[in-house]
Amino acid sequence: MNFISRFFFVLKEGVLQLFRTRGLSMAVIVIVAATLLQISLFLGISRVLDRALGTAREKFEMAVFFTPLADATDRKRVLGILSSDARVASVKIITKEEALDEFRKDPEIDRMLQALGENPLTDSLSVVLRNDATENLDSLVDKLKMDPKVEDVNYGKNEWETVSNLTRVVRWVGFLLGGFVFLTALFIVSNTLSIALWARREDMVLLSRMGAPTWMRWGPYLWEGIFQGLLGSLIVVAFLVAVRRGAAVALQKYGGFDVLLTLPAAEWWRLFFTLVLLGMILGALGAFLALQKKWVKELQ
Amino acid sequence: MMIQAFHLTKIHSSGVKVLDDAYFSAPAGSFVAVLGESRTGKSTFLRMLGGEEKPTSGVLRVDHLEIASLSSIEKNRWLSEVGMIFSDLNLFPDKTIQENIAFILQVKGAAGEGQDQAIEKLLVKAGLGAKTKSKPADLSSGEQRMVLALRAMIFRPRLLLADDPFQGLDEKTSSVLFKLLFELNKSGSTIILTTQQMSFWGEAKRMAGESPIQWVKLDQGKFIPLEVKTE
Repeated sequence: MNFISRFFFVLKEGVLQLFRTRGLSMAVIVIVAATLLQISLFLGISRVLDRALGTAREKFEMAVFFTPLADATDRKRVLGILSSDARVASVKIITKEEALDEFRKDPEIDRMLQALGENPLTDSLSVVLRNDATENLDSLVDKLKMDPKVEDVNYGKNEWETVSNLTRVVRWVGFLLGGFVFLTALFIVSNTLSIALWARREDMVLLSRMGAPTWMRWGPYLWEGIFQGLLGSLIVVAFLVAVRRGAAVALQKYGGFDVLLTLPAAEWWRLFFTLVLLGMILGALGAFLALQKKWVKELQ
Repeated sequence: MMIQAFHLTKIHSSGVKVLDDAYFSAPAGSFVAVLGESRTGKSTFLRMLGGEEKPTSGVLRVDHLEIASLSSIEKNRWLSEVGMIFSDLNLFPDKTIQENIAFILQVKGAAGEGQDQAIEKLLVKAGLGAKTKSKPADLSSGEQRMVLALRAMIFRPRLLLADDPFQGLDEKTSSVLFKLLFELNKSGSTIILTTQQMSFWGEAKRMAGESPIQWVKLDQGKFIPLEVKTE
């Protein structure tokens, strides 16, 4: 009971501390908000790319082309290989006539095929792959290519790898830039909070001389940092909510860019939660680092 | 709390020796008044008892606990039982008088239900009933010193260290403070009080009445017993 009472007392002192040094508190809140805004940009880009990659994965298909000599037995054999493979979601046979009909939908190709006089296409298999199989297909492709009646296997490996690598690079660059911005903000926040500590150094000495335990001496300043981080992050969340409601519609209307609108609510909530958490960590860490300064320790 | 000092020596960084192989003893629950001129080491002695300064040599024990060798956690635990009336142990300027006193109850882990009424009662007793919501800056220096004393006494410390608590107080306020100190002492607290006002001695004797006070003079680095009132 006593501990709870002291805990809430320290919490209350933290809130009061926020108002006692309101000018410095405002500065820290603005720094935290500016930092989180930049980080939210990196997080947002990374998330949009992830979603684009995920969508591409869902549409990811493989085409297996037979040689002109392949017959029904050959198709059945290859079909069997694919059906028994865990990486394959479904397989559909496309006869050369069906493929021709599809090609003829384009008038230019249709003219070329008419000039040719015969169907140059072969039978093929359209293979839909599982989402988690897209990065591990080489062995299946090699197995198919070894079949004498399989002419070619096309699954857009290079394009896939390019998109995948690009996403990875963007994510790393975002992570490094975000980390750099976070560390810079941490440095500024801890120094700003140490100014607030300097302004109240006499209180620190008094508390120490009264025999207040470390957590009671540090508690108000840590809470102050956490509250400042929380307020800074809430500003960013409010801004992003406004962006989601207003700017996303404008982006779609005038730029045809609907990424923000198609991002599910759960993704937004995850982003908000991450930002609030990062803000509070930034504030708490800043206050903790300020309390580690040599002159602060000498006060105690 | 029982206090014992053996071969206690304290030399300031300036080279001034304020305590010189001094002996001191105070049984638990006693009321000790240390008299002495200024700069004779009275405050230094209290600061050593409060763990704020270390002796140059010798031993200073409270309940068999050697103050100078306490770890920071042990020191905090020790300080949670000690009340201090030091002139430089200021009040928090942005808190009201009531909040300043309540603050120490939280720090010492002695807060509880009815604390606000208890504080108010104490303030009324000390003649500061109308100042509960005032800030320290609105009080006279004498009133501020009184609040410092009340803050140190409110949690009924097992040991009260009072450095010249009557300085700047008028006769009436001094008398009130004296009564409060005796009440605290009667409840079992050990009190070590210093003063340089030699006139205080006679006045204190008159006010103390039946209360036993151990009188000690600090002179040339040594504690000299003056008189022990036993009746």
